[in-house]
Amino acid sequence: MNRPEKIGFYASGALHLAVIVLAITGTEWLRPTPQTPEVISQVAVMSEQDFNAMMASAPKDAPQPTPDPKAPIAPTPPNESAPPETPAPEAQAQPEPKPDALADPAAQADAKPDVSNIQEPPAQADVSDTPPVMAPPVEVPSDTVSPEISPQPKPKQVPRVAPTPAPEPPPDAQVSETAKPAETPKPEATPQPVPDKPKQAEAPPEATSEIATEANKTDTPETSAPQASPRPASKPNPPAPGPGGTGSAPTGPPITAGEKDALIVDVKRCWNVGALSSDALRTTVTLSVQMQPDGHPIISSIKLVGSSGGSGSAVDQAFEAGKRAIVRCGADGFPLPPEKYARWKTIEIDFNPDKMRMK
Amino acid sequence: MKRFVLAMMMALLAGPMAAFAQSQEPLHITITDGVIEPLPFAMAGFLPESPDAAQMAQQISKVISDDLTGTGLFREIPKSAYVQKIDTFDTPVNYSDWQAINAQALVVGSVGMSGGKLVVKFRLFDVFSGQQMGDGQQLAASPASWRRLAHKVSDVIYSRITGEGPYFDSRVVFVSESGPKNDRQKRLAVMDYDGANVSYLTDASTIVLAPRFSRDGNKVLYTTFETGFPRIKMLDVATASARLLPDVPGTMTFAPRFSPDGSKIVYSLEQNGNTDLWLMDVASGETQRLTTSPSIETSPSFSPDGKQIVFESDRSGTQQLYIMSASGGDATRISFGDGRYSTPVWSPRGDMIAFTKQNAGRFHIGVMRTDGSEERLLTSSFLDEGPTWSPNGRVIMFTRESPGAQGEAALYSVDISGRNLKKVPTPGPASDPAWSPLLP
Repeated sequence: MNRPEKIGFYASGALHLAVIVLAITGTEWLRPTPQTPEVISQVAVMSEQDFNAMMASAPKDAPQPTPDPKAPIAPTPPNESAPPETPAPEAQAQPEPKPDALADPAAQADAKPDVSNIQEPPAQADVSDTPPVMAPPVEVPSDTVSPEISPQPKPKQVPRVAPTPAPEPPPDAQVSETAKPAETPKPEATPQPVPDKPKQAEAPPEATSEIATEANKTDTPETSAPQASPRPASKPNPPAPGPGGTGSAPTGPPITAGEKDALIVDVKRCWNVGALSSDALRTTVTLSVQMQPDGHPIISSIKLVGSSGGSGSAVDQAFEAGKRAIVRCGADGFPLPPEKYARWKTIEIDFNPDKMRMK
Repeated sequence: MKRFVLAMMMALLAGPMAAFAQSQEPLHITITDGVIEPLPFAMAGFLPESPDAAQMAQQISKVISDDLTGTGLFREIPKSAYVQKIDTFDTPVNYSDWQAINAQALVVGSVGMSGGKLVVKFRLFDVFSGQQMGDGQQLAASPASWRRLAHKVSDVIYSRITGEGPYFDSRVVFVSESGPKNDRQKRLAVMDYDGANVSYLTDASTIVLAPRFSRDGNKVLYTTFETGFPRIKMLDVATASARLLPDVPGTMTFAPRFSPDGSKIVYSLEQNGNTDLWLMDVASGETQRLTTSPSIETSPSFSPDGKQIVFESDRSGTQQLYIMSASGGDATRISFGDGRYSTPVWSPRGDMIAFTKQNAGRFHIGVMRTDGSEERLLTSSFLDEGPTWSPNGRVIMFTRESPGAQGEAALYSVDISGRNLKKVPTPGPASDPAWSPLLP
């Protein structure tokens, strides 16, 4: 390889490497950083006379605005409660003192994760227990405070005086979806359970006393809710996936050797080979059984998945003996760790009578 | 490039996917140890369908119960523990009631009289599966055959639960002994497998030994000393008439056994101090010499297919077991353990050979596979010998003699697992049992 070839080789290698790095890291870093939206303040032009007239009347309003050091920056009164980080949105918020309507959706966004956490474990609850489960959301009101943290503004709606909660606006629903990922149940189900009324009932005094403030809060909360969404204070009931196994149960750490041994000891004490035929005593069978989370076997699920060493009737006999062992000793439930249910949801058992035959 | 990116993505996904797959895999365990205990069953009684069948129903129930529990494989749950009361043969079974008392099988039956015949109906239920095992059955016979009827029912129950062949409805021919040891009188007797219905086939005028049933159970071969020397006789069980088989003058013949089809007899013939195996055609009386060794060959036994013969020989210096073709020829030694092996008997199932073993001053009944592997000694005593197989190849009956001047022979049976060793009731001392095939 001569010098030009080397140069070409190295150049090609470097370029390839760069391309690979680019492929791995993506091109996000190449994109221009999003610029913060321009803050546009609406200014009204007035004549000097008008200004003087206004100043003349100023003393009347002075008592409240004056104590606020920010008054000059945010002359508009409704913005008092707006987060300081995003003054611009606040400016927009001014003309739209939002009512509880938005405050509630924000609360919904917070509440959804909570609800999902509650609903997740008990898959069975999705069917019938959903309504009652919704009670917990009542405790979530504290989360409504989180909107204060939310930095991103949202287009404001027309101000509403009515303190009653407005119906869930579509945009909120969208926001809620972003907060849902943790939910296993149907996404449609979750929005329903988040009624505004309960939030209102729970709403802390601050929220209810100042409707306008709350409206402002609702502007920001929409997007912030997911970020600040806290987990529920109390955990739901222990996981109780249905017999069919929805797969929502926690996987948990692997089954330990000790736990396996405990299961073996429990099964073998009921594996009676005393009445087995000689042929059956030469037959190894493998049985599969589905388990309930409480450690009880699902009898109807016991099936033969394999055999070796015996004739058809011997396999039948060996299978029956194995099945009896599972049924008898499983009647009290097998000693299995509930938190690892996904690990033992299905159990396969080899019944090998080789040693028993020689006893 | 695309491939590279794809490969990278797959590599990244491989881990989580593997973990997911692992979490979906069933938990796998292997059970190699279990328990060996009688299977508990409940017999809701054989209900009499008429007052005149009441006593018979009770007797039949007892025989069935004794048959099943006598195997050592079953344990009857006392009736006092029953939760459900079954009043009629068609009473629906409440499985949970029987599960509550841990019954794993339930027998419901009835006994009635119809047209002068005894009619027995029964059903068998698998309690834990919650279903009937097989179809219900009805048997009819003359009232005098009520015990056979009961044994037949037991056989069905036993076979359905264990998967083994039946054996209760069978008979045993044996040598009934009486008198002191130095003047022991022996005669042939036959009885049910459980010791009932004993009848005698010969008188005590001569010593008889080693009776063997034909495959159809109609004939018995045995060795008699009525001529002063051992000779083989063939007896018709139905008429108790016997005849000597032809032999060569100046020889002794003994240890006979029928071929599976009953057309031939293999036996030992001693001539000039040498004992060899011979084969005789029953119809023509023609004989064929199977062995020519200068050693002692005796106790031949056919394989179930009639193609091979197992026998004992001291050609190696001590008594050992050998297998050869039924037409003679080279023999293959199959026993290699310490001690002396004798009286081999091929299992009706063809998979095992039972034998007597003498070692270190003790006698044992043992079994081994036909290639000599998996030798297991089932018993041990002062004197155990002469094993015979039950028709299903699951139980072995043999002679056990107690030591001392007052010692006497008795019949014992043992499961081939070595469990359930028990004495078979006989009217007096007994030896040389031979199990019949299953009765028709």
